[in-house]
Amino acid sequence: MTIHYHPSIEMLTDYAAGSLSLTHSMSIATHIEQCQECQQQIRKLTTLGAQLFTQTATEDANIVDLKASFFDKLRELDRSEGISSPVKEQGATDQTPSEATLPSWEQDYQVPKSLRQFVPFGYDKLKWMSLSPSVKIATLCQEEGGAQVALTRIKAGASIPTHTHTGDEITLVLEGAFSDKSGIYRRGDFITRDASHKHKPMVTKDAECICLTVLDSPIEFTGWLTRLFNPIMRRYHPHSNH
Amino acid sequence: MNTVKQIDSDDHLVQDMLAIAQSRDQDALNRLFDHYVPKIRAFCLAAQPGANLMADDIAQEVMIRIWRKAHTYKSETASLNTWVFTLARNARIDYLRKNSRHQSDIDPEYLWRDVVDENADPFKDAQQKRDQERIQVGLAKLPQDQQQVLAKVYLEGKTHKEAAEELSLPLGTIKSRVRLALHKLTIYIKR
Repeated sequence: MTIHYHPSIEMLTDYAAGSLSLTHSMSIATHIEQCQECQQQIRKLTTLGAQLFTQTATEDANIVDLKASFFDKLRELDRSEGISSPVKEQGATDQTPSEATLPSWEQDYQVPKSLRQFVPFGYDKLKWMSLSPSVKIATLCQEEGGAQVALTRIKAGASIPTHTHTGDEITLVLEGAFSDKSGIYRRGDFITRDASHKHKPMVTKDAECICLTVLDSPIEFTGWLTRLFNPIMRRYHPHSNH
Repeated sequence: MNTVKQIDSDDHLVQDMLAIAQSRDQDALNRLFDHYVPKIRAFCLAAQPGANLMADDIAQEVMIRIWRKAHTYKSETASLNTWVFTLARNARIDYLRKNSRHQSDIDPEYLWRDVVDENADPFKDAQQKRDQERIQVGLAKLPQDQQQVLAKVYLEGKTHKEAAEELSLPLGTIKSRVRLALHKLTIYIKR
């Protein structure tokens, strides 16, 4: 599988540095699970970060007291947990549901690890809202004052009404494929569209399409009938009320 | 010269990691504390000047993780510095997420996984070592303005956009400085 569309080097750098917003980082993390090439690039960018990190300070007079309180705290922690041997981290952090816990009919779809915090039991179990008989969306999360992350699920052969964006939109193809005037996008492709872009994506006829989208602000439909969606989309996007 | 010294001292730290993983050696942890805590604090203070409490909290958090996760560290797949950097970066993201205006329920643990590779590949590992050396040597040779922008992005945790605002430079200039730097370090190859 060849992926043709990738995030910009700026986004990859900001992600590796940890300065990219969490919503946008979610789209990068999901892309690199599928893309070896960007994974490799992130590796190098992280090595660069580590290099800059090691060049910071070699001494710090403030650490004497900190060290004393750290070792006290550590003794306390180890005692309260009654452990003297290496421990595995507990809690949700390291344990995402494995494929085995997904219902069998959804095992064809592997939910990316980066999305399992919000999609723990497979795509079908999400709260989907129908925009039309062939288009459904489900919001995963949003950052306060920031962007919104959602999944869009479109039936085979269907199209999304022509729309423009009031902000930047990232689309990442998770399953299936779709096309628009500029090209065809398959699994793993990462597409960035800005406000000036007006497009009408159409899903290929062989299978449904599931995409991850990160929206800075709600999309606007421009067709005469589909304009009726706009109030819904606006209400659906948490930051458009004010 | 400098490079050789650095790699030697890293070996020593890796030995300490092994000692923690195998025998819960607190003296080893003590040495790692002396080496890494000043860096972790500097890394945090770069993002939030004056925030000493935050720096202390994050430094302690990272050291606890080192203590507990030492057995998961594999020196063949990532250098210790890279491993500790990712711990510090992730702890800083998490701290800011919980304590800043931009609160979010997105758990960073899902988005930045450990650099530990499940299927280690000797060829890849050798490649990794070469990349690392190239980056280490190349970084010192970069012009000042490029180093400055990299420091803004990585240490101060600024996005390209924020770095541009702060330096009163057009975004395009920041982008091209970063690209030039990454190109010289052979991190970025135009597709």
